[in-house]
Amino acid sequence: MTDETDQTRTDGGGQPALPPDDKTPTWHERKARKDGLARLTYEYFERGRLEDQRLRQESDYIERDVLGFPTWPHETIRNLSIGSFFVGMIILLAATLPPHFGDEGDPSVTPEVILPDWYLYPAFGVLQLDPINPSLALLGGDKLVSDELYGVVATGVLVGVLVVYPFVNKGAARRPVEEPFWAAVGMVGLSFGFTISVLSIDQLVADRMTGMTAPLVFDLTFIAPVVIGVVTYAVLRAMREGYMYELNRRYYRLRPPR
Amino acid sequence: MSMKRRDEFDRRAWLAEQDLTHLEEVYLRGLMFLDRRFRLVDYLEVMEDMYYKINLQLPKSHTEQYNLDNKFWYWYPLYSLGLLTLLAYIVAAVTGALLGFYYAPSVAGDPADAYSQMLFIMGDLDFGFMLRSIHRWAAQFMVAAVFLHMLRVYFTGAYKEPRELNWIIGVILLVLTIGFGFTGYLLPWNQLSFWAGQIGIEMALTTPIIGEWVDELIFGGSEPGQPTLMRMYILHVFFLPFIVTALIAIHIGIVWMQGIAEPH
Repeated sequence: MTDETDQTRTDGGGQPALPPDDKTPTWHERKARKDGLARLTYEYFERGRLEDQRLRQESDYIERDVLGFPTWPHETIRNLSIGSFFVGMIILLAATLPPHFGDEGDPSVTPEVILPDWYLYPAFGVLQLDPINPSLALLGGDKLVSDELYGVVATGVLVGVLVVYPFVNKGAARRPVEEPFWAAVGMVGLSFGFTISVLSIDQLVADRMTGMTAPLVFDLTFIAPVVIGVVTYAVLRAMREGYMYELNRRYYRLRPPR
Repeated sequence: MSMKRRDEFDRRAWLAEQDLTHLEEVYLRGLMFLDRRFRLVDYLEVMEDMYYKINLQLPKSHTEQYNLDNKFWYWYPLYSLGLLTLLAYIVAAVTGALLGFYYAPSVAGDPADAYSQMLFIMGDLDFGFMLRSIHRWAAQFMVAAVFLHMLRVYFTGAYKEPRELNWIIGVILLVLTIGFGFTGYLLPWNQLSFWAGQIGIEMALTTPIIGEWVDELIFGGSEPGQPTLMRMYILHVFFLPFIVTALIAIHIGIVWMQGIAEPH
């Protein structure tokens, strides 16, 4: 009898080709029978799941259905009020300060001031960096790359720095006080973004402000960010010392030195 | 055996013996209609699983763990800059879609169609000036909010593990937002637009090896003209909206999955 059922029959009769209920592989068995990359993936996730389960069982952490600041009504009302204020500001400014509209574009008339929108000032200012674009004596004082290309490359480098940044500055520290150096780097970048925007309109600045000349604006573009960075670093270090002093005082008050 | 299709689970009979209000019955009939066609029951488990993952299994936030809520609220405006960016984007999208009904990306005629349509929008169209004004201010606000959002993320260390990938998506979004601004700046075809386009073309042309090809692809020539305007228009109203909307969805989806990084 058993021989008969195990044999494959070609006439379509007899037992159906389905395995009996108790022989049907479970989900785990089906996954576990796999090999190669599928098997590896399964083992990786299964290990993670078990680890998760173990941690949950061991912790004294109480699991609840609702965690944190409630979305409704607290978060929603907060966001609605901030959002409607913001959209209201857009409409108010649109009504009171409508955009300027100049003459029609004309290839034969070069305007006195060519400027993009304000957020492109940094990219525009990079184009004004030609004094520090290295020139080679070998080429008879010719520049290795043109000023525009230098600007394109510099912009690309800045974006590249932003992209790799999280892989450079690692660690759990979050507050600027915890990492005065990296906060200072941020302030240098921020203020350089500002000063290089000013550099893109250096002629305007030199004309409008007494005591300002275009070369001075150029120098300040690089000096001001460094000064701001140093000041930031000093202030944050002092704050950190202050925090440490507070922590130490509390520590020694609790555990006075013998 | 009859050829008539049988309903294995006799839904009609089941429905008849239920004591339902009118609303419930309409709802159930709709559900049945969809279920008989798409077998929603097969996806029920997936949807249920997703619901509970999203709503009930969020990790305990740092704010709550260290009872920071009372100290946290006045920092909140800085934490809403991402939302404000999205709002400005929506406002710009709505006003931009309305402006699109009247704008023509063409330099034919004297003055150019693009320019004269702008004059029409600002001079004759009801609320046209207001629409353009709102569109422009929303764009300004969006760029400003993106910059400030990035600063907030930088100075609170929110880009750190496990959020590096979202930071990179954010950098891409920043660049694309500026691209939005630049392409939009060229559309009115006034002096500023024309010469901004000229500078863009010069920058593209100076790139070694691929410069001319890039210039032809993005600006369509060595001088701003009809191809430039058309390309800027299509980038501004077709490519960038699709790409940016998709990236914003992914960006916010990742924030949803990972939770907001509260300050330590």
